[in-house]
Amino acid sequence: MTLSLDLCLYLCAAVFSIGVYGVLSRQNIIVILMSLELMLNGVNLAIISFGRYFITPEGSALSGTGASSSQIFVIIVLAIAAAEAAVGLAILLAVYRRWRSTRVSDMRLLKG
Amino acid sequence: MDALVFLISGVLMTASALLVVTRKNPVYSAILLVVFFLLTSLNFLVLRSPFLAVIQVLVYGGAIMVLFVFVLMLLNLTEEELDEKVEPGRKLLAGAGSVLLFVLLAWAINSSDRIQAAGETDLTGPVKESVARAGETREIGKALFSEHILPFEFTSILIFIAIIGAIYLTKTRRADHRRTAEPAVKQPEESA
Repeated sequence: MTLSLDLCLYLCAAVFSIGVYGVLSRQNIIVILMSLELMLNGVNLAIISFGRYFITPEGSALSGTGASSSQIFVIIVLAIAAAEAAVGLAILLAVYRRWRSTRVSDMRLLKG
Repeated sequence: MDALVFLISGVLMTASALLVVTRKNPVYSAILLVVFFLLTSLNFLVLRSPFLAVIQVLVYGGAIMVLFVFVLMLLNLTEEELDEKVEPGRKLLAGAGSVLLFVLLAWAINSSDRIQAAGETDLTGPVKESVARAGETREIGKALFSEHILPFEFTSILIFIAIIGAIYLTKTRRADHRRTAEPAVKQPEESA
């Protein structure tokens, strides 16, 4: 049984699409933030799959620290995801304190 | 064997991701999200990234989930507030949009020469000797502090700014209490 690159990428695409569905269909901001995390995870897995493909003997040539580049990308995405979650949840708390609601449809102060 | 582990955890990942976005109660979503993160870290292990598998559990399964669960606890939502009323039309549109996105992505994967050139190359198979340890902590450390030092430092600045922003946003000021006692702006719930 072999694990091909497209299989990994289909899985990543599925996870990303499910995240998009969550962001579009939900009303609760907390769940929307969770769906964002799902999307970021799908992308991370895609980056790791490519990195893994490039170190197989059949993959294209990489040398030195280049082989670890995919890992570095994912580490930085992870750090930014953590910062995003912290700021997003802080905004959510501030909004809840003001309007006593976590529904996105209640936040229409800037709606024309 | 490794491929089988990846496939099974991939199926479970998709299932738990679907459950995360469809559960009404955010607490269930949070718990299922932890399951999703653990399965993702298993897949990272299969793809020879042991360091990232550990970091995934620590940062996502630990730090970020604690943040989510803590906020859920702080909000202390009632049954009535948790009851989302999403029109079926909106759900249908969102579903159609995300299915369309998946089809587009699958089409892109299918028609990319570069990805198709990989063909049946087994991702659980042998690796090139010179870069076999690329996913291990020592190699990542070397790469992070030599070639990628600039993005690393920028990330630290970004996290610092995020900390300041988060503290500023959640801080309660005395002026705020006065304002909540006598709202200056008409609240949206009342106008609805």
